[in-house]
Amino acid sequence: MTTGEKKRVINRVKAMYPLRAKVDESYMRSLEAIKAGKPTVWAMLNFCYGDPVLKAMDIEVVYPENYGAALAAAGVAREYLDRADAEGFPTHLCGYSRANFGYAARLMELGGQPPPEAPMGGMPKPLFLLSSVAVCDARYKWFQALGRYLDVPVWTLEAPLPGIREFQLKDCYEEMVRLSTRHLRDFIAFVEKAVGRKMDWDKLDEIANLMMEINRVSHEINELRKAKPCPMHSRDFWSAMPPALFLLGDLKESLQLYKNLYDEVAERVKNGTSAIPEEKYRLVFAELPPWHSLDLFDRLAERGWNFVIESFGYHPPPPVDLSHVSDPIERIARYSLQRMVSNYKDALEKNVVAGVDVYIYLKYVSEWKCDGAFLHPLVSCRSASTHLPHLANILMERLKVPSLIVEGDIVDLRLFNPQDALLRAEPFEEAMEHYRKVRREAGFDW
Amino acid sequence: MAAKGLLRAEEVYHDPTRRVRELRAKGKKVIGYPCVYVPLELLAALDIVPYRICGEMREPVTEADRVLPASFCPIMRSCLDCSLKGRHDFLDGTITVHASDPQEKTARIWQSYTRLPYFHFIDMPGTTRTEALEYFASQLDGMVTTLETFSGKKLSADRLNKAIEAYNQQRLLVQSLFELTKPSPPLVSGTEIVKVIKAVMSLPVDEGNQLLNEVLEEVKARKEKPQAKRARLLLWGSTTDDAAVMSILESNANVVFAEDCAGYRPYRGKVIVATDEVMALAIHYLLEITCARTFVQSTATPTKKDYQQDLQGRYGYLKSIISDWKIDGVILLLVRYCDPFAFEVPAVKDYFASLGIPATYIEYDYTEGSLAPMRTRVEAFLETIG
Repeated sequence: MTTGEKKRVINRVKAMYPLRAKVDESYMRSLEAIKAGKPTVWAMLNFCYGDPVLKAMDIEVVYPENYGAALAAAGVAREYLDRADAEGFPTHLCGYSRANFGYAARLMELGGQPPPEAPMGGMPKPLFLLSSVAVCDARYKWFQALGRYLDVPVWTLEAPLPGIREFQLKDCYEEMVRLSTRHLRDFIAFVEKAVGRKMDWDKLDEIANLMMEINRVSHEINELRKAKPCPMHSRDFWSAMPPALFLLGDLKESLQLYKNLYDEVAERVKNGTSAIPEEKYRLVFAELPPWHSLDLFDRLAERGWNFVIESFGYHPPPPVDLSHVSDPIERIARYSLQRMVSNYKDALEKNVVAGVDVYIYLKYVSEWKCDGAFLHPLVSCRSASTHLPHLANILMERLKVPSLIVEGDIVDLRLFNPQDALLRAEPFEEAMEHYRKVRREAGFDW
Repeated sequence: MAAKGLLRAEEVYHDPTRRVRELRAKGKKVIGYPCVYVPLELLAALDIVPYRICGEMREPVTEADRVLPASFCPIMRSCLDCSLKGRHDFLDGTITVHASDPQEKTARIWQSYTRLPYFHFIDMPGTTRTEALEYFASQLDGMVTTLETFSGKKLSADRLNKAIEAYNQQRLLVQSLFELTKPSPPLVSGTEIVKVIKAVMSLPVDEGNQLLNEVLEEVKARKEKPQAKRARLLLWGSTTDDAAVMSILESNANVVFAEDCAGYRPYRGKVIVATDEVMALAIHYLLEITCARTFVQSTATPTKKDYQQDLQGRYGYLKSIISDWKIDGVILLLVRYCDPFAFEVPAVKDYFASLGIPATYIEYDYTEGSLAPMRTRVEAFLETIG
């Protein structure tokens, strides 16, 4: 189901388009790679941890999570979801995974050839699967379950995640680094055997640095979005994020494209250009968007809703100087850990023990001056949903910011009703207006 | 005269907090834990009484609705709901583990909404690799540090070894209890076992061991035994902590083996101390507990994976259970939204199929209302296996 109308209202940042195009390019390149006999791997979002290794080993990578979103956005996920149901996977499982099970079953039915109906040429059969413990345990169980269809090994990347208070214990951080560093060395040995080549350490070093620089620029772009009116909408963030998040394509080219994006957004800030015609309300979005119904944001933009910050899990880690770490593996490990641990101290000081994924939204709302939070709990995802009711409570309790909770799904459009969200927009605007007054009375500056 | 054996188990099952409340009134510290990955030996060695926090199927979830989404592990929702309603007001603290997303997330929310003096979260690796094991051991060291501060006592190797010995004894006793389900008819029913194990998890280790010894003696000696029914079933799943559920499964069958976290799973094997006690605990808990949350892969080859070999590596331990307990069929019973186990369903069914054993998957929402449909599903399954 969609919102019916197709009118585009959001003022898209032009420099976003070449970044978005890199997604399609990467799928096509993978298909060409497989034809040329080059290895292709299916990987999960692994937060700057395993990706630089694959990149340095010249391995083409496709991301089933990203492809699940693409299937949803193209409106063709249903067939694969139905196939996963028929294969016996419970229907409450992650929508990305279910679409991928259906896809993998179909792929193998066709002797390993991508299905002709698959968007962007489909994902070719992989050499191995790279899963990750990070963020969500459903993800590594998903890749393990793919063994039913794909006769390829799985490497599961570790991702330590201690509690905010426990992190303060002696040696905790260094134990995390030790685990991550040793684990990455083992992973490299595994990849070397898989592709029959040795790691080019100089190349890995260069890629690690480029990765950090790309993410630094991406971070700075998001800092610019604190401006009023906000110059770049969440839709542009989501469209532009894959090259940084997944290290797609040529990294030097990506770096330049992000610099171009920075320049255009900075120019908009200078000129007071808004991402929507009239910014009446500034909103934060958590967590994963309804990829199949993104035009909902155009309808909300018509009402003056500007989404100024979003989806913590997709954001780059804050910049950190790791130039003193000469070993690229340790540098990668520390950088990957930075995403979470950089927030631990502040979260503890502010007594937000519910985790970084709650703390960060307090930070977003107060620094990006949001009037409301659009929370999107997913029927099929625990990791991106569990904290949302608590987040709504704490945003109200601490910052007097109301939340609109709209349940849905990332892939299965049967579980999301954008019309319902639109019907709730007007009363929510009243709430946002009311709490603006409450905040001002309470001494907040927005 | 105080109740003994099965009667005592029944009493504790129905009033699981009574004994720990008594102990707390006498000055003992009591710490709750919702998951079998918490090494209880470390608590017992510091003279702390561990108490297994279970859900309450008959209690409608109301308070947890304020802080957790609906599409979420109903057992963890129920556990938190009970805490928010003050049912765990006797606890001095809680220890949670990164055993699954629901527990990891609930742990943090639990900590945010309750004000217990002690709270500790153990991060747990997803794999069983050497470096993961060492990280897990370091996390247990961290837990020792906070427990020592909390209890004001220093952990000694001697006391820890004694605690390990006591819990190893408990593992052996539970294993012996399951030995009594091998005959046909079994000497003890699955429903009785659920009550005994829940009781054991609600008592200090020595009292639990005494109870198990009494039960074993009584069951072996009693004349009235459970009847042999239409089929001998294996229950495979996450946690079945309510006897009413087991009673439904046993309406027309004998559940002779419960491979779940309120059954045999936490009691498999034993802790073997070579040199370092904490490392021995890390090895045991990470490697021996067969929860779906841990990523196990039998083949390390970088280029090929054989599905059947992988199934053997992940579920091979079930083969001897099938033959030794003469299993006719398997119930895969999960609460809704239990993702780690739910991902296993097609694969574990494939494995049972490879052994020629029929299996059926039943999902329920941890409410009394789900029992009647469950009965229908079980009956239908029994029809298919004859």
